[in-house]
Amino acid sequence: MAISTARLPAALEPGTQRDALRRWLGPDYRMGFLFVAPIVVLTLALVAYPFCYAIYLSLTRKYVGMPPVYVGLENYVKLTYDGFFQRAVFNSFIFTFGSVGFKLVLGMVMALVLTSKIRFRSFWTGVLLIPWVAPTVVSALNFLWIFDFSLGVLNYLLVRVTGILSQGVGWLSEPNTAMASVISVNIWRGFPFFGISFLAGMKAIPGELYEAASVDGATVLQRFVHVTLPGLKNIMIIVVLLSTIWTFNDFGIVYILTKGGPGGATQVLPVLTYEIAFGAQRLGEAIAVALYMLPAIAIVIVVLSKYMRRGRR
Amino acid sequence: MDKRGVARLQLGLSYAFLVILAVLVLFPFYWMTVTSFKSETQMRSLVSMFWPSPFASENYEHLVRKTDFVGWYGNSVFVSVSSTLLAISIGTVGAYALARLKFLGRGFLASATLITYLVPPSILFIPLYAQIRNLGLADSLTGLIVAYPSFTVPFVTWLLMGYFESIPEELEEAAMIDGATRFGAFWRVVLPLSAPGVLAAALYAFTQAWNEFLYALVFITNVKLRTLPVGLSTFITGDVYGWGYLMAGAVLTTLPVIAAYIYLQKYMVEGLTAGSVKG
Repeated sequence: MAISTARLPAALEPGTQRDALRRWLGPDYRMGFLFVAPIVVLTLALVAYPFCYAIYLSLTRKYVGMPPVYVGLENYVKLTYDGFFQRAVFNSFIFTFGSVGFKLVLGMVMALVLTSKIRFRSFWTGVLLIPWVAPTVVSALNFLWIFDFSLGVLNYLLVRVTGILSQGVGWLSEPNTAMASVISVNIWRGFPFFGISFLAGMKAIPGELYEAASVDGATVLQRFVHVTLPGLKNIMIIVVLLSTIWTFNDFGIVYILTKGGPGGATQVLPVLTYEIAFGAQRLGEAIAVALYMLPAIAIVIVVLSKYMRRGRR
Repeated sequence: MDKRGVARLQLGLSYAFLVILAVLVLFPFYWMTVTSFKSETQMRSLVSMFWPSPFASENYEHLVRKTDFVGWYGNSVFVSVSSTLLAISIGTVGAYALARLKFLGRGFLASATLITYLVPPSILFIPLYAQIRNLGLADSLTGLIVAYPSFTVPFVTWLLMGYFESIPEELEEAAMIDGATRFGAFWRVVLPLSAPGVLAAALYAFTQAWNEFLYALVFITNVKLRTLPVGLSTFITGDVYGWGYLMAGAVLTTLPVIAAYIYLQKYMVEGLTAGSVKG
């Protein structure tokens, strides 16, 4: 709703040029335009223009320090048949869906724990949220140290303390465990956001619904399935889509932990973009890597923004 | 099982899961802190794995005396505070206009802001770098201060729009009947009532700037101008001694955000849920 009808009667009176302007631009247009001007300038300069420039650059052959040469869709076509790129796409999907799936489950556990009758609830809420506010790079570095082959505490716990394994595992240097390791760090960092959002959603479900279900003889599990889950549907959709975008585009965790290795086993699109751009200095191709998934991401963003706006009303 | 048995079982399970989650969440921070106080000799020998013995400050001394850490700390504080002030000033007035004022293009701008918030930095960082270089701001802290609002402003705006919409419009109308201008109503009525929201938004903008890695890694080449996340990541050397001062740096980098968060937890939890999701 761009223009309110609330003040129209006044504006409709025969009047000056200003009334016509107000009718056309809205009753608060002067203060409105003034207040949004900084956002408009910022968005145009730092998001919209770079974004359009990116689309243009992805259609060129561009090396750092050289003028771009227009090549049409060549970058995209080349990528489609490029084994490294295909692997990075595959890995990005594994990384994203693996992480988001576990975050959903752990977030639900967290929310259920925090709505039960435990003591010091707000204290525990605060504690469980810490991974979400701590700097991602610091967390990634912590895990790099924890996963360390010879001196890391994980191998120490598994080999020396509990004896579960007879010898240490190179968590980040073996292809089989590297992907699981980077995924687990992403889960660790991201699940509290799911938890706190579900917690807020659960608090909004009217207590009468649970009482009514109990009166009808519903078990705990039935109440969860028939009252809690439907009540959380919108929030779950929003949180899953948000996290999908964030996880798909997460750079720091993989870059710090493996740089895409070993041998490309954890190579994901954001890290590949960075490496082609600043390692190989091929900017056009790098941007094509970043933009290749744009249609899919754009669909997610549009659907998500619809849900988020609806949640506000 | 009777009703009380079920309730007990539920509570028992809750505590069990709580303990598991709390240990998983806290262990990396405990481990980082313990490591930062271990001497090099202790780390090499794998003795008293879970507690420093003796407590050594050598890692912190090394960090302060032999690395650029202190300078990076200053850079991070400067960039985070400046970009937060910028984002809050732009975002607050913008959010008020989008939430309350009636003018052409409001709906479009509100959608555009939300979509901007959702566009990931990994798509934007190369062209944004080109743009920052065009503005003559490459390899400078000003470049980061200008670039960070590209993600903090949409977030702040979106969060505060929700806040402003929750304040009854009648309060402003009453103020305006009493002779206040529209701006006066915003400045003296709405803004004071939204102080907790503005505070939460500022804290989040600060945290996002403090934690930001990709832009700082790409835009800055001068070692002295690095911010903390980038600086710390260059400490990865693979030798034992490196881990000691790396973890000391990690502790000092985490402290301000955790301290702010503990102190203002209530606002931040509210802000988090209001900003991205609203039930």
